[in-house]
Amino acid sequence: MKRSIIFIMILALVLGMAVGCTRPAEQDDTVVIYQNKVEIHEQLTAFAAAYEQATGKKVIVKTSGGDSPYAEALRAEFQSDRQPDIFVIEGMGGYNTWDSKLVPFENEEWMNHTTLQFEVDGKIYGFPVAVEAWGMAYNKDLLEQAGIDPATLTSQEAYRAAFEKIDSMKDQLGISSVVAMAAGPDMRWVTGLHNFNGYLSAGLPYGDTTILDMLNNGEYDRERLTEYVDWVELLFDFADRTVLLTGNYDSQVSQFATGRSVFIHQGNWIDPWLQSNNIDFPMGFAPHASVKGEHNAIFIGAPSFYVLNKDSKNLEAAREFLNFMAMNEIGHNYMVAEANMVPAFTNVTLLPEAPLSANVVEWLAKPDGAYTWLQNDMPDGFGMGTIAPIYEAFAKGDITKAQFIDQLAARISEIN
Amino acid sequence: MKKETKDKVVFAAFLAPALFAFVMVVIIPFFMGLYYSMTDWTAVVGRQVNWVGLRNYQNMFNNVAFQYSFFRTFLFSFLSVISINLIALMFAFLVTREIRLRNLYRAGFFIPNLIGGLVLGYIWQFIFKEVVPAIGGRLGISLIENLLLLSDPNLTMFGLVMAFTWQYAGYIMMIYVAALLNVPQELLEASEIDGANFWQKFRNITVPMIAQAFTITSFLTLVNSFKQYDIIVALTAGGPTAIFRGQVVDSTELLAVHIYNVAFKYNRMAEGQARAIVFFLMLSVVSIGQVYFNKKKEIEM
Amino acid sequence: MIKKKVLIKIVLQVITIAFFLFTMFPFFVVVINSAKSSLEIVTAPIDFPDQWSQLWFNIRTIWTSDSIRYASSVYSSVIITTLSLITISVFSAMAAWVLVRRKTGMSTFIFLLFISGLIIPFQVVMFPLVAFFRIIFETTGIRMLREYHGIIFAYIGFGAPLAVFMFHGFIKSIPVELEEAALLDGCSKPQIFFHVIMPILKPIFVTISILNAIWIWNDFLLPSLILGIGQDVQTIPLAIAGFAGSFVKQWDLIMTAVLMAAAPIIVGFIIAQKHIIKGMVSGSIK
Repeated sequence: MKRSIIFIMILALVLGMAVGCTRPAEQDDTVVIYQNKVEIHEQLTAFAAAYEQATGKKVIVKTSGGDSPYAEALRAEFQSDRQPDIFVIEGMGGYNTWDSKLVPFENEEWMNHTTLQFEVDGKIYGFPVAVEAWGMAYNKDLLEQAGIDPATLTSQEAYRAAFEKIDSMKDQLGISSVVAMAAGPDMRWVTGLHNFNGYLSAGLPYGDTTILDMLNNGEYDRERLTEYVDWVELLFDFADRTVLLTGNYDSQVSQFATGRSVFIHQGNWIDPWLQSNNIDFPMGFAPHASVKGEHNAIFIGAPSFYVLNKDSKNLEAAREFLNFMAMNEIGHNYMVAEANMVPAFTNVTLLPEAPLSANVVEWLAKPDGAYTWLQNDMPDGFGMGTIAPIYEAFAKGDITKAQFIDQLAARISEIN
Repeated sequence: MKKETKDKVVFAAFLAPALFAFVMVVIIPFFMGLYYSMTDWTAVVGRQVNWVGLRNYQNMFNNVAFQYSFFRTFLFSFLSVISINLIALMFAFLVTREIRLRNLYRAGFFIPNLIGGLVLGYIWQFIFKEVVPAIGGRLGISLIENLLLLSDPNLTMFGLVMAFTWQYAGYIMMIYVAALLNVPQELLEASEIDGANFWQKFRNITVPMIAQAFTITSFLTLVNSFKQYDIIVALTAGGPTAIFRGQVVDSTELLAVHIYNVAFKYNRMAEGQARAIVFFLMLSVVSIGQVYFNKKKEIEM
Repeated sequence: MIKKKVLIKIVLQVITIAFFLFTMFPFFVVVINSAKSSLEIVTAPIDFPDQWSQLWFNIRTIWTSDSIRYASSVYSSVIITTLSLITISVFSAMAAWVLVRRKTGMSTFIFLLFISGLIIPFQVVMFPLVAFFRIIFETTGIRMLREYHGIIFAYIGFGAPLAVFMFHGFIKSIPVELEEAALLDGCSKPQIFFHVIMPILKPIFVTISILNAIWIWNDFLLPSLILGIGQDVQTIPLAIAGFAGSFVKQWDLIMTAVLMAAAPIIVGFIIAQKHIIKGMVSGSIK
């Protein structure tokens, strides 16, 4: 009999879970924000708590980054029966996937203080999460030792001369390669998105989408593509082979951080890594010379936008929360001091401390100091999935430069 | 209540929980999947699903990445089956000999099996990327130091097989151990008295006895290498690249990974589903054929 | 002759030790690297750590971090694994028993249906399964995704074929006379199952539980679809896959997390080693 009792208890337990587990955890007036930056999860949660204290309204932060990229996780999320009120898109690609789910912002106070909102056909759909930028980040000390002024690095010719000079002084400077560059399977975002964005926007006025529009129609500019590939080749030629082919984020950043390279192809998001390892040599950004001509701008943009779920029952509360973030000092403090982000709003007076982020603010203040971010406006999976492997093959020497150009062109023309 | 009715009630009540769950999570989704594979299903809620017939299947066979993934999956499974069974058999022989601490070794060989594929993939990625070059540097062998194991398609395949063998050989060893312990000791002793040497004993007594085990182990290793997902995702993320028919492809994007990527990375759910159906058909043919073949062998022995 | 035997013995011993050390090497790598910082781990991957105290620091970072939520994922993993183990075993044994004992065309068909589940790979049903669970919610209001009972239910469905198959084979070898005797003593059918059959099935229970424990504790793909990454209920593999930052691999924390994930199951294995190995060896061949 004892065994029957145990069995009945198990059954009861299972049934109990079925009922007990449908937790009423998220009440209907709670705003759920599903975001993609693991590194700010804690800060954002703390900010949500501060918001609740200030206004009495509850916000729950959920985060997915990790090996299953956010876009995939979000797809699974919308398949599920519990959708977030606020989620993140990164540009037109995300917009095209989710357009049936989005609702525009109207008459929000924060709109007056930014130019980086996500806009389609005059309707504002996205709240800029932060400003980020990348360029050729350089180690100021090493450049000085090599006798190169970063201000002169504005064209492919200038870079080639500088790289050759630095390369000849390798032992003297104690470096293993000129550039810390990565093109391996872990680092496809660096090549397929960031580097390729040079083809899309370098040398063009801010907001110009001519090349992007061509790409989305399956067309390409062969001459520009050839010039751009010269730049890729230059970077690959002067990169450390191990880091280039199999390096991950840690090995790429640590090459730069330990002074074994003069440049790194990364953005201001490496600041926290450097700070946590007590790296504090002076550094800054120089422009990418992605195509021929003079360049005096780095790639600045909002990496992602908070958007509203049309079917949310808490739209008003969600709007208020975002407005509070942009307009209230608690929000400013969260963005700048806690989350170490460069805010996208001009009414924020706090300045970031970290060296590269501070340098981004300087570039942002220059007239025409920014090239557009268009890498997130390509079709789904095109950057990291379709073209990034071609960079890897080129880096390994499996294909020639001419084949590399042909393959890029072929993949672009396959876009319908 | 009549006895027959009562029996029927018991039959239904005892069967219901397992059968209900099984039908709900396997059988129904299986047929849904069959249907979805012939539509333009996107899984986005509220979007209409249209019938497209066999278009998804036609696209698949024309797709270079799929063809390549197909061949690589077979290669990986073939290498894994051989490597795992060889190592496992060797382990099994060693730990059934009269050697010291054999229980410790037996447990030690089994332990990697407790580690999940995801975790294991991270460990081996670290070993291949950081530890191997560091060891090469320490030994002063520049070939090892600059090997870049995970940048070469064939070496990476070898690395995957090695990591999978590390995980799975201990488990397969257990099955062989059971088979070897079933070999009657008297038979071995009798043959020794008759003057049989090691190889004769092995060939005529041990091999037939483990043939039955081999049917199970080769089935298990084959099916599990075919379905491998976690280790690949964590260890190689599909890379490095290779060139196939003039196109750049991901060399370790084996079918299970390929299906997931098509569906989620490029947001082509229906095409991913169609590939999954073909994957299922292949797996069935290969595994059933294998069992049939081995069973026949077993009887002949 | 004797000398040769001794020599063979020594050679075998040496080979075994070599293999053993090779098998243990990855664990050694994990242990020494889980006590390093992010810079140290890439600059000195095969050295002993500068300070072992870094291990506690890393563990504390992982354990207390809000974004990793390690403690709650350990809790979820334990709940999901234990409840799935018990339900899969009990339900499958019940099903297998009536399928063996009631010989009709119906029971043969159902048994074959279960067997067909053995060759249906997860990849074929994973996308429709999630869609189906959503349909269930829309039509009945019962949430299956993102919930404990949803994933346990899924594990019963996926675990049943193998368990039914193994129980079926074993129950066939139990003589019916045993049950008939109990029937004469006035036991009802369910009583017979729980009093007579279940105790006999114990070794198979152990084997199936071990197999399922290893599978469920480490499973990644199914929970990533049913529970979702970054949601309320997280298993340990989800937590590990989720915390590395979408583009950033923090090797130092990954190694520590790997150690924390592997340690309990390895310790458990070592403690119960005798039973487990016996269960594996006796169960696997049947």
